[in-house]
Amino acid sequence: MANITINQAEKRFGNGFHALKGVNAEIASGSFTVVLGPSGAGKSTLLRLVNGLETPTQGHVALAGEAVTPANLRTVRGDVGMVFQHFNLVDRLSVMTNVLVGRLKTRSWLGSVLYLFKREDMDIAHEALDRVGLVEKSWERADRLSGGQQQRVGIARALAQRPRVILADEPVASLDPVTSEEIMQLLREICRRDGITLLVNLHQVDLAKRFADRIIGLNAGNVVFDGAPEQLDRATLASIYHREGVVHDEQLESVLAYA
Amino acid sequence: MTNRTPLPRKPFNPTPVWLSAWIAVLWLIVVDLDISFQALAWGLADIGEYFGRYGDPDFSDLSRYLKLLAQTIATAIWGTFFALVVAFALAPFAARNLTTGPRAYRIAREILSFMRAMPDLLLALIFVAAMGLGPLPGSLALGVHTAGFLGKFFAESLERVDPGVIEAVRAVGGDHTQVVMYAGWPSILREALGYTLYIMDRNVRMAAVLGLVGAGGIGLALHDTLRLFKYDESAALIAVILATLLAFDYLSTWLRGKLQ
Repeated sequence: MANITINQAEKRFGNGFHALKGVNAEIASGSFTVVLGPSGAGKSTLLRLVNGLETPTQGHVALAGEAVTPANLRTVRGDVGMVFQHFNLVDRLSVMTNVLVGRLKTRSWLGSVLYLFKREDMDIAHEALDRVGLVEKSWERADRLSGGQQQRVGIARALAQRPRVILADEPVASLDPVTSEEIMQLLREICRRDGITLLVNLHQVDLAKRFADRIIGLNAGNVVFDGAPEQLDRATLASIYHREGVVHDEQLESVLAYA
Repeated sequence: MTNRTPLPRKPFNPTPVWLSAWIAVLWLIVVDLDISFQALAWGLADIGEYFGRYGDPDFSDLSRYLKLLAQTIATAIWGTFFALVVAFALAPFAARNLTTGPRAYRIAREILSFMRAMPDLLLALIFVAAMGLGPLPGSLALGVHTAGFLGKFFAESLERVDPGVIEAVRAVGGDHTQVVMYAGWPSILREALGYTLYIMDRNVRMAAVLGLVGAGGIGLALHDTLRLFKYDESAALIAVILATLLAFDYLSTWLRGKLQ
């Protein structure tokens, strides 16, 4: 539904950390793209540029041809769902209210303060919960749910936004392998059926290979690989997970042996 | 045994120096204020005699006392409510993670410290002078003073809210109010209730005293009977006040325990 254009994006943080060093990527509308890379490679920063949680020091990011700027931040964010590693639900609110948070962009000041939502917003939230199979948990407190269920609520919250893009920042890093599989299939299904563009950060190479249409490999703020999952071989993996200053990386060798 | 490593030089222990310095200061204060322990000992008998006058409390006017007590409690409740409203409005701006900018943060912080710094007894004196005798100046004084505390407590709790949750509400396009209402307050609801109960408890205690400066309630009645040397009635009033304060103290401790 919307393509993402990342053009010469560079990000240097206040503490001097150079997270992204000029990244270019054109992400096709309705595609499932996975970003791989070691911790600190800039994966999160790249994702957060898309909904303006971070602003690039140089270059720009555009959504469906429209540049993300401080002026249109709220409109852009309304169109972009985000799924987090730690789910980031409001523990003490019900599952339903957490999903309704995805509808906040349509609510007035008074409606937000009084926790009032329109019937159509309730319907959208209901539908989103149905998609993730948690309707029967609607009125339970969010922190009573298991990790996998909480992540599904997180996905329902993103779906309730009726988004054009969903960003998922390591969505399965805190989940067990079976639940991870479930969540990845759910994300994939959302991408296929609703045509929502998915941009997902992952640490698991095998999941990336199985679910992605395309893989972007980041290392130390640079794109070192960009292509189809089949093109991802030992050499490219070595370049993605290469550690600065380590000539003979035994740990990397043993990881690649099982990849 | 002879060739073990010698101990390093023992560090200097300053405790005796500090202790003697403090004793010297205390002694100087006693000399300067002319405090006589002898007079205190002789006075004990007088104090005993004075307290003896309260030995026979007169509860014949109890229904009036209970009515005044209700007024005192109402003063405390309204004071707490006023504080709650002000704190609710100001605290999000006084929390570093939720404020709208450095200026709003500064202003909110300064307003809260100013309110905290104004003693409620002083405020009550001013409001009584401005608005006349009665419970209204009392509740206003309590409200202003405790709003400063409640706002600071709330702001500090809000600063401990999980940044991820705040980010999640920002990421759906939530504005400042929505972030505060959906990520801020629900996350600290329990703590906030606990603080409010504590302030309520404290306000009931203070409301009884505020009567002494003319701010209505049971304190005002105590003030009158003390002035007229009606020791029996004063004793009854003091007993009623103490019983209420104890009851409120237990109630609020119990409720706050339930919240944990």
